[in-house]
Amino acid sequence: MTLVSQTTEAGGQNAPLRFLKTYPMEIILAALVIFLVVAAPGFASTGNILNVLRTVAMLGIIAFGMTAVIISGEIDLSVGAGAALAGCIVAWFSDSYSGALGEWGAVTVGFAAALLLGFSLGYLTGRFRQWFNVPTFITTLALFAALRGVANLITGGFPMSSFPLGFDFLGGGYLFGIPFPVYIFALTFAGMHVLMKYTSFGREVYAVGGNMEAARLSGIDIWRVKAWTLGLTGALTAVSGTLIASQIGAGTGTTATGMELDVIAAVIIGGTSLFGGKGRIWGTLIGVLFLGCISNGMTLMNVSEYWQYVVRGGIILGAVLLNQVLERVR
Amino acid sequence: MTYLQPTDPGQGTQGRLDFRGVTKRYGPTIALSEFTHSFAPGRVHALMGKNGSGKSTLVKLLAGVTGPSSGTISVNGEDRHFTSPHDAFAAGIVTVHQELSLVPELSVGENIFLGRLPHRRRAGFSVVDWAGLHKRAGELLADMGLEIDSRQPVSALSVGQQQVVEIVKAMSFNPSILLLDEPTSALATREVKQLFALIARLRARGVTMIYITHRMSELFDIADTCTVIRDGHYIGSVEMKATTPSAIVGMMFGDAARATRPPRRDLDRTAPVLKVRNLSRGGHFHDVSFDLYSGEILGIAGLLGAGRTELMRAIFGADRIDGGSVWLDGRLMTGASPREMRKAGLGYTPENRKEVGLVQSLSTADNLCMASLGPISLGGFISRRREQPFIHRQIADLHIKCGDPDLAVSSLSGGNQQKVVIGKWLNRHPSVMFFDEPSRGVDVQAKRQIFDIIWQKSADGLASIFVSTELEEVLEVADRILVMHQGAIVAEVDPTKTDLTELYGLCMEGARQ
Repeated sequence: MTLVSQTTEAGGQNAPLRFLKTYPMEIILAALVIFLVVAAPGFASTGNILNVLRTVAMLGIIAFGMTAVIISGEIDLSVGAGAALAGCIVAWFSDSYSGALGEWGAVTVGFAAALLLGFSLGYLTGRFRQWFNVPTFITTLALFAALRGVANLITGGFPMSSFPLGFDFLGGGYLFGIPFPVYIFALTFAGMHVLMKYTSFGREVYAVGGNMEAARLSGIDIWRVKAWTLGLTGALTAVSGTLIASQIGAGTGTTATGMELDVIAAVIIGGTSLFGGKGRIWGTLIGVLFLGCISNGMTLMNVSEYWQYVVRGGIILGAVLLNQVLERVR
Repeated sequence: MTYLQPTDPGQGTQGRLDFRGVTKRYGPTIALSEFTHSFAPGRVHALMGKNGSGKSTLVKLLAGVTGPSSGTISVNGEDRHFTSPHDAFAAGIVTVHQELSLVPELSVGENIFLGRLPHRRRAGFSVVDWAGLHKRAGELLADMGLEIDSRQPVSALSVGQQQVVEIVKAMSFNPSILLLDEPTSALATREVKQLFALIARLRARGVTMIYITHRMSELFDIADTCTVIRDGHYIGSVEMKATTPSAIVGMMFGDAARATRPPRRDLDRTAPVLKVRNLSRGGHFHDVSFDLYSGEILGIAGLLGAGRTELMRAIFGADRIDGGSVWLDGRLMTGASPREMRKAGLGYTPENRKEVGLVQSLSTADNLCMASLGPISLGGFISRRREQPFIHRQIADLHIKCGDPDLAVSSLSGGNQQKVVIGKWLNRHPSVMFFDEPSRGVDVQAKRQIFDIIWQKSADGLASIFVSTELEEVLEVADRILVMHQGAIVAEVDPTKTDLTELYGLCMEGARQ
């Protein structure tokens, strides 16, 4: 990561202030956690923490991909619908091909199909931008509507709970006392962190998002970069969708409604710029943890669901304002 | 050479424009220094000066975009102090900028009255009076001798007609002074004639016009006087009837000192490293052919809009081409992408480094490595350690002053930013480099350093193309010069056997006079 280092720029100021400016979201998250430990009954219990992590995992797996998409200067609004569709595809394969392929064989093929579809749709969204100059906002808005429709068509509008015994382990099970999705979450974080920071592809994503024309004139294949980040996010969406289906025990067209907004919110709270070129996978980790803690904490404190929406909206705006203000004082 | 005395202040003041000791500073830089001159009413005054002479500062002062640091501007005999474009407007000065300000989707009439559409009452509501608007617009157009339907969208007009509509719009404010900033830069010859007819008509009505252009031939067609500024100083004013193009060029450039450069060497001209044949791109350049040899610096001279940058970009693969061929190291590369050209050994530093040369949000180090991510990485993976030699070699070789290379490249000075763009490409060891306006917006010392780099690299065998609007620079830097005019190469000159006046004439007229 060689984005403008914030610490060096703030040189000459006293250390605590510099720390405050460099890690604003980290500090706010820590403060929130301390507050919730004290104020929210049962927040600090092991069971609850693991529960928060499990919820955060589903969101975070997609959010890490979305970070790359947004840094590259694009957007993907279709991830919620995509996650629902992926779950339905796996359920449908399990329902239709268990006889021919065996229970687990059908699920595996179904997952592979969902993964391939997710990647292809993302990849093509990027290429659509290149070939027909259709903004990804539009293409993915269309997919947002269409994919949920397809998901319901596959399942006939009802939850499809045809999974083999033990499938619920993926989304709901524990390995060494930690929910299984958290491992996938951690793996995705590590993978995306390395990709963005230590590979030439990651560098190209920052360059393309920071200045598309400069990147092109430097000989970077800008459309390939964009298509791959979108494809990657599509694939991660399929992973998350499968985990969600496993957790609730069915593929249904109505899961993950509004998830795209939470995913984008987490990325933005993590300090990634919607204008492209700036952002960190680490920041998105903070963003998803922050969202997870706040909604869990509010539920524990019996805050009404409607207030939770209001608070979430305020947090998104507040985080962006904070980043803008810090940008100016730095 | 006889310069005009400031006009006698006794005569009519309507349309008069006086500058008295006007100075404009930007920080330590003086863009305009003690400018004193009176523009007589009802005449067309050309304003000439090479790039960076202070012309655009003068335009900005008159348009109210910025205020003078000291001195007074008086309009119609009244001292004015502009703090906003609106003030200039109120004083009766209307500017027609180089970039058109029309909304293409709206009708001609609506564009003319944009922001002040006439209204009428209908059933108690105030609604736009479309009939009245088009009637008035039609009258204005007819009054200027134009046959343009005010109801058609501006996008249906040619660029020349759009320029004319822009002037009609300006005239609808009844200005006493009209400022025309390079109105012909995008026009074809026939359209220029139409524009000149309009200007002549306005002059007959007593409108004072300040006319800025780079085209010398136009001056003698349309202007009454010519005022020259150089390096922010008023050099003089001449009556067009009493002067010659070379006298004006002399005023613009002064005694341009030719700085020292390493002696030109005899080159091996057997096999060109870059061969371009009959290259064309519709509307930009046509039928361009030339050869470039190893170790040679080929200068391309021409006015803005002559097609120099477009040619560079097309060869590099950044823009599509319509015909012709490009060979690099003997390989046919026509239609290749920038990525393929880069691989074949071509590098390109674009003219507008801020917009397309650098990624401003990234660090100096990242920008230096941007074109070489492949060679730097090992199986796709990159580490700081692997990058270090690529970063530090260029910082040392090119004397880039950047403090910490991990800081944003946007914090560097213009000259250092330019060196980062150059360093980004030198990291790839190209065999051919295109330097498009490498000295633009760069201080004198950095400019020398950049030229030294180009000379040094060419001594090592690098073939390069050097493009600059500053003709003195082309004369100094290049081993051979091609002159572009309206999209075609019109002459090849030897910099040791020509001078500024001749080169300037070639650039403007496209032929020796």
